[in-house]
Amino acid sequence: MKRIVSLFLGLQLAAFSAQAAVPVDPATEAGVAARQRELNEIARISTIMIDGDVCQHIVTERALAHMLHSDPRDEWQAGDNYDVNNEAFIQTKKTLIRLAMLAPYPVNVNLWMPVPTTHDIQLVIENKNNLSQYWTFGDLRQAMPPEMEEVLKTGKPATIQKTPGMLSVLAPVRNSLGEIVGLVEVVSSTLPPPATNF
Amino acid sequence: MLKLAFKLVLLLLASGSCGWASDLAVLSEYHRPDPFGGIVASDQPGASWDHVIRLSAARGGYVSFQLVFKSDNPCNNCKLSIESSQPVDVYREWFHLNTPDKHYYPDALVPVHLPYSFQMPDPENGIQGQKARAFWVDVWIAPNTKPGVYHGQARLMDGAAGQKVRFTISVFPAVIPARDVIDVDANSYGIGWLREQYPKALAGSGRAQEDELFRLIQAYHRIFYENRGTFHQLGYAHNGHVDPDFVPELDGTGTQKHVVSWDKFDRLFGPLLDGSAFARTRRGPAPIPFMYLPINPEWPANYLWWGEPGYQAEFTNVVSEMEHHFRERNWTNTKFEMFFNQKKRYKGFEWDGDEERFPSDYSYLQTYHDLLMKSLPADTPVHFVLRADVSWTMKQQMHDLKDAINMWCAAGGMFVWAADELPALRQHGDTVWNYGGTTSVQDVSTSIADDPLRTWILGVDGFTRWLAIDPGPKPFEALSDGGTETLVYSGERFGLEEPIPSIRLKLQRNAVQDLDLLEMEARRGSRDAIKAQVVRLFDNTELAQWSHSPSPPPAGRVLDWNNTDIGDALKPYDAQFPTPQPDAWQRVHDFTMEHAGGLQ
Repeated sequence: MKRIVSLFLGLQLAAFSAQAAVPVDPATEAGVAARQRELNEIARISTIMIDGDVCQHIVTERALAHMLHSDPRDEWQAGDNYDVNNEAFIQTKKTLIRLAMLAPYPVNVNLWMPVPTTHDIQLVIENKNNLSQYWTFGDLRQAMPPEMEEVLKTGKPATIQKTPGMLSVLAPVRNSLGEIVGLVEVVSSTLPPPATNF
Repeated sequence: MLKLAFKLVLLLLASGSCGWASDLAVLSEYHRPDPFGGIVASDQPGASWDHVIRLSAARGGYVSFQLVFKSDNPCNNCKLSIESSQPVDVYREWFHLNTPDKHYYPDALVPVHLPYSFQMPDPENGIQGQKARAFWVDVWIAPNTKPGVYHGQARLMDGAAGQKVRFTISVFPAVIPARDVIDVDANSYGIGWLREQYPKALAGSGRAQEDELFRLIQAYHRIFYENRGTFHQLGYAHNGHVDPDFVPELDGTGTQKHVVSWDKFDRLFGPLLDGSAFARTRRGPAPIPFMYLPINPEWPANYLWWGEPGYQAEFTNVVSEMEHHFRERNWTNTKFEMFFNQKKRYKGFEWDGDEERFPSDYSYLQTYHDLLMKSLPADTPVHFVLRADVSWTMKQQMHDLKDAINMWCAAGGMFVWAADELPALRQHGDTVWNYGGTTSVQDVSTSIADDPLRTWILGVDGFTRWLAIDPGPKPFEALSDGGTETLVYSGERFGLEEPIPSIRLKLQRNAVQDLDLLEMEARRGSRDAIKAQVVRLFDNTELAQWSHSPSPPPAGRVLDWNNTDIGDALKPYDAQFPTPQPDAWQRVHDFTMEHAGGLQ
């Protein structure tokens, strides 16, 4: 099954690369428009390729329970008990990496999912390019941004430009029941990735 | 007659001997002054303002004291000079407003050149009602100094009036060893903090900015080395993003993945690994003893291939090339640490590399150990180690991963519950460190010596302060957290594009010097007796109290513990140790000189 998925993604990659063959300066208006088209296309493919049922198995029930019930005696308990199911995580992360490779420049395809029983959102998988317009490093859960809520409600992709230089396309992730269970943030930046302290 | 009396009063005022208008005084290193003519609250016991100080020192190290000029009146033309037969480094002490208790403490040390002209109050420090300016004096006793008694004096000119204080240093025959008995390490992550602290130095672009960044990083290694410590800087983030300055440039994929350029890596790390970066230090050139490698789950192998043959191919290709390059360059005096810092809570990977809590994550470290072994020739002279920073399950990891891990960095405090594992780890040839934080400026001065002392008493190899370079956003206006995440400051505010030290770093250095000498004495056969006397002098405790906890770890499964449980379980252990007095280390130092000062 995994091989079939890879083959399909490979075909998408070949088709996409052919479209993106002409380099455009990303700092120009035309460049931004071109990049927006490319990110939109990756987002569209992401919605097809990411298995929402698998995503729903990434964060463990135990981790979720700790996330939902804070311990007044220990502010770190949710983080210390954060855990994932390895197989679901690895499968999804590899798909996100492949999707990011559709662009000839650094892109992160980050997976976000609602925190059950709350109005919060959680980053579930981040990739190596240090790119997101939404994540506050270290936060296990965050208040749901309206634009993410809209994507989760309507299933319509959204293009977001909040942080200077950064462009994100948000697109839904569905499970086998057709439910929207999460979203991807397909994000790139015309500026160098920020230097990190951690 | 009246005219004569008036002249006499003027003369007394000018000499400062009447002591009320202005005074140049000398203080021990352990009693930090405040800017209002007093001593900071935590250091008051035993403090005395003197006009002469007698010091003792071994050779190959520093000895320190403080000069304080107190004056009720402003001074626009004060000048400090020092006469000494031994080289001196003089620093002006910066008084920081400490946000937690709203008091001023001296900590950052700004180098000055003598004679040094200054004003009172210090217009730059900007403290309302300032009546004291303070200077830290380091006297360097070179290894070839002839043992004996040396005299010096500091002179302060306040306009036309002059005052002086004297210092006497008894130099003992012992020479402090070049290699410290323990490694006291300053840890850091990434380079973002350098960009924040050196906006002017790193304002350029391209190669010039890169050179400046490398120079700064080497300067950080240098300041810690010169002050008897080591420095670590992790070159990757929790999500696997590597800083391009910290890695050789790679190309290719799968079996074709390989290094295409060592240029940046060699320019940054070469001088550190061959020791030439330290050529102009007083301690002399020496390769850094430890260094983080950039290896992480996403470098050098692409995580996309994790679990597939390509992951091993990419990993072993590049790590083999690293070994070959390091061997060619003769970088064989450094332990290259393969260390996994990521935590799953930061969403990059599915396993915790740092402070593993879930035993199911252990297998990853075993896998990386196996990959490392596949990458290295059996007879390599290059020292690659797999380092694990352990806390929750340290005892179990020390059993289950004993053949994989060969550098342990164990949470201080909790280590007391695993201290019985130390002989087996030692027998295995492992390096064992503890880790923890840094004391605050509002703590008693000598508390900075506590961790180095505990390291030596427990018999572990080192102690790393988990973050030792972050003074907060505006440290010269206010210290937001008491300086508990730094031992150095950016010198950029003072026109120095390099780090400047702190009083706490100097106190720590002086304590390590004494531990080096105590170890020399302990090796002569009376280790336990020496240690027992040292802890009695330091805080009046017994040796057994340091290595045994009166209470066990929390009950039940580790996965059910939380931080409060651990804190509660450690309280009986911590309660055994009273807060040391400011002169606690002075007693240890005197004992050191008495027993080890004569060793040759």
